[in-house]
Amino acid sequence: MKALLEVRNATRSFAGLVAVDSVSFTLAPGEILGLIGPNGAGKTTLISLISGTQPPSAGEILFQGESINHLPAFRRARLGIGRTFQIMRPFPGLSVLDNVAVGALFGRGGGQPKLARAREHARECLEFVGLGKIVDKRADELGGPDRKRLELAKALAMQPQVLLCDEVMAGLNHAEIDEVIDVIRKVRDRGISILVTEHVIKAIKSLSDRLLVLHHGEKIAEGTPDAVLADPVVIEAYLGKKRA
Amino acid sequence: MKMWKIGLVLAALAVLAGVPWYGSDVLIQFGINALLLAVLAQGWNIIGGYTGYASFGNSVFYGLGGYGVAIAMVQWQLPFAVGMGFGVVLAVVFAVLLGIPVLRLKGHYFAIATLALSQVMTAIVSNVGIAGQNIGLVLPPLNNDPLFYELSLGLLTIATLTIWGMTRSRFGFGLIAIRENEEGAAVMGVNTTLYKVMAFALSGIFSALAGGIHAYWVTFLDPASAFDISLNVKMIIMAVFGGPGTVLGPIVGALTLSTISEFLSSEVTSIAGLFFGLVIVVAVVLMPRGLADMLRRMRKMGWGYFIENIRAHRL
Repeated sequence: MKALLEVRNATRSFAGLVAVDSVSFTLAPGEILGLIGPNGAGKTTLISLISGTQPPSAGEILFQGESINHLPAFRRARLGIGRTFQIMRPFPGLSVLDNVAVGALFGRGGGQPKLARAREHARECLEFVGLGKIVDKRADELGGPDRKRLELAKALAMQPQVLLCDEVMAGLNHAEIDEVIDVIRKVRDRGISILVTEHVIKAIKSLSDRLLVLHHGEKIAEGTPDAVLADPVVIEAYLGKKRA
Repeated sequence: MKMWKIGLVLAALAVLAGVPWYGSDVLIQFGINALLLAVLAQGWNIIGGYTGYASFGNSVFYGLGGYGVAIAMVQWQLPFAVGMGFGVVLAVVFAVLLGIPVLRLKGHYFAIATLALSQVMTAIVSNVGIAGQNIGLVLPPLNNDPLFYELSLGLLTIATLTIWGMTRSRFGFGLIAIRENEEGAAVMGVNTTLYKVMAFALSGIFSALAGGIHAYWVTFLDPASAFDISLNVKMIIMAVFGGPGTVLGPIVGALTLSTISEFLSSEVTSIAGLFFGLVIVVAVVLMPRGLADMLRRMRKMGWGYFIENIRAHRL
């Protein structure tokens, strides 16, 4: 299948430290790609390079076969690239509904110009992620798990083609993780490609079609979850040399 | 908005509009000043209150509006309305040319960069021949205070309706998203640079119109009074006192503080500034998010609202 998103030798260095080192991969339509690696492996930086909040030092990002390197973040959002943030960034002073409405007002293709329609769409997205009952609360009154759902709903309201989920499961308990996995599967069933990062391997193993492992900014493995997690190089990166 | 609220606003507007018929000359003159300050506070509200960029450059727009009118009327013998249009053009050009570089700065850096703008403008205009250099320009007098009063009230009404419309539009949501989290807004598809410059320009248009009316009213303009930074401080205090990022807060703030200031300067003339400062300090401690927030939350929390704010300041 033709790749929806392609990353070619993406590199990002900060004053000598190479956070992402010549990473390449592709994401097919409707695919869930798990991006794993120990803390500090460069997962969030890689997502920022794709969403456009950070410029790459070298390499190229292609969306639907075209380079998007020169496009600012808002243009990439309008093309259909949505993302969530690991450190959650709701608009604190706005209600939950209006937080999501921003995604519907802008988002892919420039979004829905009418506020009433955008709010309607936002309400659907909130029901989809299970926040349908608290749409009128202020975003900064939400607890951790609900904030994760809110981040997802905001990105979904943009009607993206690619969803970049940065650690949407971190800090959640088992039951909550299962719920989020369920939501992400349902998102994929709508035909959206998903790149999801996580450092808890168990959670992501069952969810992903493929896994990609980053370590010190480099890609050290890529393939089916079972094959990747059995790879001695990956085990060494996670557990250290002794156990491998 | 509920019906009774609309009714209340319309009643307040009717009372204000009637002042020239039942008010004294002194009240009308006070009214013109207070209404123009309210327009400035509303203008600041767009860039500072809704977009979250604390601009100290809005007094430049005010000055440009004044010079637009003065130059058009004195140097080119054009009508007042054309001068207002000229002032608006100057303000928009300024907002776009300076907004693009300056609006890249965030937080305190933006405030500091804009703080310098009025100093620079004073220096530039003092050397421009057509603007009367540092001597200033004397405009043809028009002795019609009721007209200036109604013009000011009309301008305030338009500014407020614009903001009201903005809060329920895509544009307004984009601005609020920028204020709440600029990076978050960008990844959701908000063209943050364009929106910020548009907010700055819109803010500038209303400030320029206020400056134009004021210049024609006082019939004199020089660089020091046109680009007065203390006016910018005033509009910020008024907007913040009333409630930044709300539709009516800055008006309430401007009218309340103008009244308090006027009362103090007639009652305790020599130390009015001291008392005015005291009012501001007490207001900041007791209701740091403005009158609008106080009215909203007092209903739920009662007097506990003030106690909570005092605690938040660790006093």
